[in-house]
Amino acid sequence: MTISYACAMGHAPGITAWRDAAPADQRGRLYAAFERLGAELAAAQPDVLVLFTSEHWANFFLDHISPYCIGRAEQYHGPIEPWLKIERQRLQGDPQLAEAIVDACYRHDIEPGFSYELQLDHGTMVPLHFLLPQMNLPIVPIFINTLAPPQPTARRALALGQVVGEVARSWPQRVGIIATGGMSHDPGERGHGTIDTAFDQAFLDHLVRGDLQQLAKYTPDDFSAAGAGAVELLSWIALAGALQRFRGEVAAYEPVRAWATGIGAMSFAILDQ
Amino acid sequence: MSLYALQKVIRDINRNPESRERFVSTPEALLAGYELSAAERAALVGRDYGALYRMGVHGLLLRPFSIMHSVAEKDYLAAIQAEGS
Repeated sequence: MTISYACAMGHAPGITAWRDAAPADQRGRLYAAFERLGAELAAAQPDVLVLFTSEHWANFFLDHISPYCIGRAEQYHGPIEPWLKIERQRLQGDPQLAEAIVDACYRHDIEPGFSYELQLDHGTMVPLHFLLPQMNLPIVPIFINTLAPPQPTARRALALGQVVGEVARSWPQRVGIIATGGMSHDPGERGHGTIDTAFDQAFLDHLVRGDLQQLAKYTPDDFSAAGAGAVELLSWIALAGALQRFRGEVAAYEPVRAWATGIGAMSFAILDQ
Repeated sequence: MSLYALQKVIRDINRNPESRERFVSTPEALLAGYELSAAERAALVGRDYGALYRMGVHGLLLRPFSIMHSVAEKDYLAAIQAEGS
């Protein structure tokens, strides 16, 4: 079948936990965009969602780090943060689709880690809160190591995404794909609160044009110059790899100082499926 | 320096309510289970966020650790942005 829907959005915990700290006009534009993406997703009627998402020490520690981890669980629980202002709940997994993705990766010379037990934190639950408010579709989370260097290159994120896209197109059900994280931010570090709007706009522009070649050029130094959390945009790059030929549409972009993050929201028109 | 153990105990305190309680009630007993230097122990017990940051603790471990102890963002930033030894 086809990839039935694709979108990307930030996952800053402040979006829900410190909602009212943001100026009302910024918050209003972002919430409207998130709700628009949720309505588009519902209209596209996917059967299952694959999420490229980030790790924030919820599951992994320095005792074992892998570049990617594919969730093969029957079910997931989240959020782990009692202060996130999102009710803790259970989501169904899709072990069959997860197995197909793991197998396809290995056939294509990419060797991700995988797990039958993963916790969901704000990185996954904040986007789902808006995109899937009923939490009523099975999910396959794919965690990218955004914590401990070395981290995958943009080229490898594109390659991982391409395999996921091929599996999604051949899957008998309708698959939606979501990327979460970014954009520029330096959470908990000395530049906490610093937002690089020029970096964010350039990144969004590459996605608007569907320019995989420009996305492939991002280096670890490019990301770290935009804050320790900007590397989370590898999720967006993986999504671009899954779609291959596409045009992005910026639903909203706001540098929200109170949430210490440049927040983007984007939907995608997928070409040539 | 034992940055690995230092980050491990902070993650434990962040994640585990029982460890969090022990860190308040009997911190030395909790920390005895980890191989830490005297300076690391002192920084933890004294909640010296600036010293912990300069020792290399990851921001996504240290900021949640400070939130657990009700440290406001501006106070946290002032601590980690200060130049220290």
